[in-house]
Amino acid sequence: MKISFLIHNAYGIGGTITTTFNLAHALAERHEVEIVSVLRHREHPNFTLDPRVSLRPLVDLRKEKDNPLHQRPARVFPVAEYRYQQYSELTDRRIGECLEALDSDVVIGTRPGLNVHLALQAPSHVVRVGQEHLTLDNHPPRLRTALRRAYRRLDVLTTVTEADAAAYRRKMRLPGVLVEALPNSVPDPLLPPADGRAKVVVAAGRLVPVKRYDLLIEAFARVAAAHPDWQLRIYGKGEEQPRLRALIERLGLSGNVFLMGAAAPMEAEWVKGSIGAAASNFEPFGMTIVEAMRCGLPVVSTDCPYGPGEIIKDGVDGRLVPVDDADAMGAALLELVGDDERRRRMGRAAIENARRFAPGPVVEQAERLIGEAMAARSAGTRAAPQRAGLHRTLISQGFAARDTAYAAASTALRALRRGQR
Amino acid sequence: MTGGPNTQLRAHCTTEADGRITFRLPALDAAEPRLLLRLRPKKGMPEETVHLLPLEEAADGGRSAVLDPGPVLPEGRWDAYLLPEPEAPRERLRPGMRDQRALVDGHTRDWPAPLAVRVPYTTKDGYLAIRTWLRTAHAEIETITVTDRTMTVGARLHGATLAEGAVVRVRARGADGPVRTSGTENAGQRFSFTVDLAELADAGADRVWDVSVRPGTDAPYIRLGRLLDDIADRKEIFVYPAAAVGDARVRPYYTVDNDLSVEVKSAVTTGSRRP
Repeated sequence: MKISFLIHNAYGIGGTITTTFNLAHALAERHEVEIVSVLRHREHPNFTLDPRVSLRPLVDLRKEKDNPLHQRPARVFPVAEYRYQQYSELTDRRIGECLEALDSDVVIGTRPGLNVHLALQAPSHVVRVGQEHLTLDNHPPRLRTALRRAYRRLDVLTTVTEADAAAYRRKMRLPGVLVEALPNSVPDPLLPPADGRAKVVVAAGRLVPVKRYDLLIEAFARVAAAHPDWQLRIYGKGEEQPRLRALIERLGLSGNVFLMGAAAPMEAEWVKGSIGAAASNFEPFGMTIVEAMRCGLPVVSTDCPYGPGEIIKDGVDGRLVPVDDADAMGAALLELVGDDERRRRMGRAAIENARRFAPGPVVEQAERLIGEAMAARSAGTRAAPQRAGLHRTLISQGFAARDTAYAAASTALRALRRGQR
Repeated sequence: MTGGPNTQLRAHCTTEADGRITFRLPALDAAEPRLLLRLRPKKGMPEETVHLLPLEEAADGGRSAVLDPGPVLPEGRWDAYLLPEPEAPRERLRPGMRDQRALVDGHTRDWPAPLAVRVPYTTKDGYLAIRTWLRTAHAEIETITVTDRTMTVGARLHGATLAEGAVVRVRARGADGPVRTSGTENAGQRFSFTVDLAELADAGADRVWDVSVRPGTDAPYIRLGRLLDDIADRKEIFVYPAAAVGDARVRPYYTVDNDLSVEVKSAVTTGSRRP
């Protein structure tokens, strides 16, 4: 089987790129796999690509940034998509041409706008799989409205959590579309797992407000007060850096909390710790939680929507604490810092329990979904019809109406604001 | 694109607590491959000090080389290359997994003298390099506490012991830079001292002061620093608050060599005096 991934920019850094590469590598064991990158801005990707996976860019920004077509707005890529400004008539055309000429059996889109492209433009013989790495509830209403129309033409829609899949089933009427959770996969670690002895708590992610590293630092102040030989290492870069630095100084934690900068691969850094931490207000999946667990770290995380609660088993392989509660997070960290035996036991459980996110099980699930979609197509029914009873239809119509109203209201509001200027 | 097809060649390395480093490369089609470590020359200086390690065939079909612990490498930054044949051009190596967890708690251990510290790291342009320190004696900083006018430092000596006449010296850089010294009451390996930051600020703005300890009357001065963990470049990671003294901001920091210095900077405020 030949499988093509369509991705925004395979040459950058980010969760979608990592997870797409991971899935592509795992699928390449048994299939012909290519990654089509809409944009390219450098020679090599940041992450090493398996030589069995081919990489094909569509628009090379180093040469084509000034192409007149790239100055004109995109028409296929939806206006309400987060990355709309980076898309253009040029990307519309190149993606369209690429899809038209596609000789693959399956094409997998990796973000809403690209899912729309393949829903509208992929040839009829190609199975269309849309992947959502964000969540429906956090999409703006205008985007939801655009997706609601386009996604009906997909064969499969995957979300990264069960909770988000449930939201799509409940709030969007997608008859004939197989909507299922397909978690991000994390490759088998190359290094031996952490042994739970290091007096280091590790966190990793972009330094942006939603990750709440401020809360984590405040929580860690309690740990440092009781155990001054413990450190917190935060890996990543981002706009919050100066504020976090100031907070560390204000709390007198300069000798305990360290902003480490970006690190790749993180695996070699996780194994230096013995507890992982995540304090996000919102986490569509929680890739770093799985990474840490696969390296043998129990993770203390907020129980935010949606990922952490589907990854961590509270009290068994990590801890779940309420969102925005520095005291609860501090207490949970302190509990693991202070109990060597419990920490190590939970670390061992984390390795066991996180195996379900290994490429093997995840790729099997992906293959099963693709197989079901193909079977449904050859049976002429597309994917297995959902139980779309009248009740469900009414519910999803209600959500559709609300999104349309919100979208209309925000358009009107913008028009009004423009008028006032 | 620069370089040959092997520019993506990666070497995994594992560093043990005693400084031994094991490098692992994939299988190579080469007769007598060696790992070449090149001491990065100072700006404008010619090459070169190199250290060669045989790359033996490993059980998994790959190649591996071992850098033994001890004072094998002079202090500096070493770039890692593959030398496939004696006369062949060398190929720069990229890092694979750098497993240096054994170094994380290095500051809690006793180190034999001379101290040979090695920390593999990734260069800014993404290649494998090793930062080395080679010191007959070393004063490892354990704690730094900054208040609104003082800095208190706790440190631990390796390869030296405090004796009669021990002093801590803070000296401004440059010829005839002012010097502040203070005795220390401590004995043994651990000592602590407090520096009056206001006093440094009073000696003039825009100076950098280096901090050293002389463990005994006739002993040489030892620079204070923090070398004994897994971090090759500490400057941007271990950051301490600045004390505001009059118009000056005084901040302890780690230099590019991970030694401790104190910087006095005139704060740029609207009310600042101008000549």
